[in-house]
Order: sequence, then structure tokens, then C-alpha cells
Amino acid sequence: MVLQYTNGLVRLCGRFGCSGINQSQILAKQNSLKALIPAQAVHTSGVVSSSPLNNLPVSSDKETSLSLVLYRNASSEVSKTFVPEKQKKYSPHQDTSNAGEYALARLDDLMNWGRKNSLWPLTFGLACCAVEMMHIAAPRYDMDRFGVVFRASPRQADCIIVAGTLTNKMAPALRKVFDQMPEPRWVISMGSCANGGGYYHYSYSVVRGCDRIIPVDIYVPGCPPTAEALLYGVLQLQKKIKRMKHLQMWYRK
Amino acid sequence: MSYFGVDKVLKIFKIIRANGGIFKSYRKMYLYDELKIGKLIGEDKYGNKYYENNEYFYGRNRWIEYNPKHNLEYDGSMVPAEWFGWLHYKTDTPPTVKPPVQYKWLVDHTDNKTGTPDQYVPFTTTPQKIQSWVPPKAKKP
Repeated sequence: MVLQYTNGLVRLCGRFGCSGINQSQILAKQNSLKALIPAQAVHTSGVVSSSPLNNLPVSSDKETSLSLVLYRNASSEVSKTFVPEKQKKYSPHQDTSNAGEYALARLDDLMNWGRKNSLWPLTFGLACCAVEMMHIAAPRYDMDRFGVVFRASPRQADCIIVAGTLTNKMAPALRKVFDQMPEPRWVISMGSCANGGGYYHYSYSVVRGCDRIIPVDIYVPGCPPTAEALLYGVLQLQKKIKRMKHLQMWYRK
Repeated sequence: MSYFGVDKVLKIFKIIRANGGIFKSYRKMYLYDELKIGKLIGEDKYGNKYYENNEYFYGRNRWIEYNPKHNLEYDGSMVPAEWFGWLHYKTDTPPTVKPPVQYKWLVDHTDNKTGTPDQYVPFTTTPQKIQSWVPPKAKKP
């Protein structure tokens, strides 16, 4: 037991970088303790055998080992626990070289934060995908908690969810509605039909993907995608907005 | 006590205490917008922790707390396959009770790499059938 405690003490000293203890003192103490082992082992053999000393590698030549931590390897997992895992920063814009860039990056962060947390999509339900689009507005998925609120007017919306088959007849209307939206604007293409025609790819009257009409940011696969999948798409769009560098690009120009 | 709803107020303190104090509770609110109390069911090898509390209604009674190193950059695709089923109510037995099958050819789980340098970028392996339009240059007078 005494050995265990001393061993723990040595370990602790090594852990906190305590260099005050003399190396030779510890060596002497350990040597004396080792002499004690057989006497103890007679009575409390169970304790000694379960002590961590038996499992730890003991360095063979004590003259060459200068480390205070004698009874474990130099690279053990104990020291690792004291290095905290590096946490990701909030902002993706970390590569700033001067004060001006830093200020612009923080302003960008603020603007992106505002934009991504008040994303107002336009209701553009074309087919059965629209039912799933309604579901994310309903309490179970509740898009409102992410600041996503449906807006019926394109002039006050900043995102359009193309939910469903885009037919040739609807295409000019989609383009017109998209052109009415103010910048910055984003597009989520929802479902196979909007992504690339889907089931109606070979139909005479269907646009083979709404990206032939408007630029798409996020494609949500599925036929129809679940409300969960669409919500994931919205979250991906929020991450994309977070990476935007509006002011920094303006400064570069 | 419960008639006047005082126990609900007391529960808030209980939850804050279980989450490790006011500051840690605030951080959890910041990360997940929720402050819950629950039983730790297990932890996967990526450091995500899974909780359950059946006092909450179905759909909210199982939740995940992601590895804190991700900060706010956590993502639903970080849930590995063995926990996905439990978290999405496909099964009631978590992988801590019934370990998933292991094959040596199973690849490690990866989260969604979209928007990171590791993202997949599609490319064509066939010769192009169409050419993009090159605008004609104006002749200089």
C-alpha cells in the first residue's frame, strides 16, 4: 500500500512538472521500498499484486533515465488528458493578417449570424414535396426554432424552396419569382424532380432539374425527402451562409 | 406542492444542478437550445453522448450531446450507424446492450463533408458533348 501511495506521489509530481524533488531522493526511496516488498507481500499479497507498479514497465538502467516519471513510459495517456481537445471556433474566418481584415471578418460574422438565423423561405410548393415542406413548419419539426419562417411574398423572402416537379409551364413563373427576390437569395432544390427531373425526367413537359432555370445552393435528395431531410438541408444552408465573405470580398476589390 | 406547480420551479434547479452549475447549463443552452436531465445511455467512439429520459414525450426523450470539440459546428451526420437506429426509434436496444456486428471490411463512419476541404466534387470521365459559348470579341477599330 505504501508503495502504491509513493508511486502515486511520484506520478503526481511528474504530472504537475514538480521539479523541486530531487531525482536521487526518489530513487533512494524507491530502492528502499522495493526492499520492503517481500515483507509486505507475505501479508497483503493481494494488494501488492493488484498495485499498478507490477503492470508498469520499470526502466532497467536507472543511471540513464533522467525523467522524474520512472514507472511509466514517456508518452503515456496520462499526459494526454491534460491537453484539452482543441475546440472549433465559432467563426470560419480565422485567417486574418491585419486589424482591418480582422474587423471585416468580425463584421462578416455578425452579418452572417443575422442572415442565417432569420432565413425566410418563399413558399413555392409545386407537388407532393410541398406536403413535406408543410411538415417542417408544423410543431414536430418546427422550423421556427431556427428562425425559418415562410413568407408569401418574394420581395420579402431570401430563400426559395423549389418543392416538386418543375414543369415547362411553371418555369417562367419560377424565374420571375426568383428575379423578384432581393439579394442575397438562396435556393433549396427539394426532391428528385426539382434536382434533375426525377420520375418525370423523360416527360415532354418537365424541366430536367430546376438548376436549368435558377442557381441552386442546396440539393435535398429523396422522393419526397422527409421533413427531417429538408430540415437538414436548411441547416446546411445556414452553414453555407455562415461561410459567406461579403464584406471581405468587397474589401479585396 | 404539485398542485400549485412549485415542483416545476424546483425541477429547474434540479436540472441546472445536474448539468453542472449555472455556467455549464448556460453553455448547454447556447449549444443545443435545450436544457434537459436524463440518463446517460452510452458514448460512441467519437465522443458523442446519448441520453434518454422517458418523462419527456416521444420524439424528445432521446437525444445526443455531441463531442464538445465541435462547438456549434455539430451535424446530424455525426451520429454513427449503430446509434442512428436507437436515436431514431428504429430500435429500442442501444448498441451498449446489443453490440453491432463487426466485420474487418467495415469502413469507419464519416460525417457529411459538404463545405469542407474534404468534400466530394463530381467530375466527368467522358469527353464533353457540348461546348460552352465563348462570347465573340469586339473588333477594334
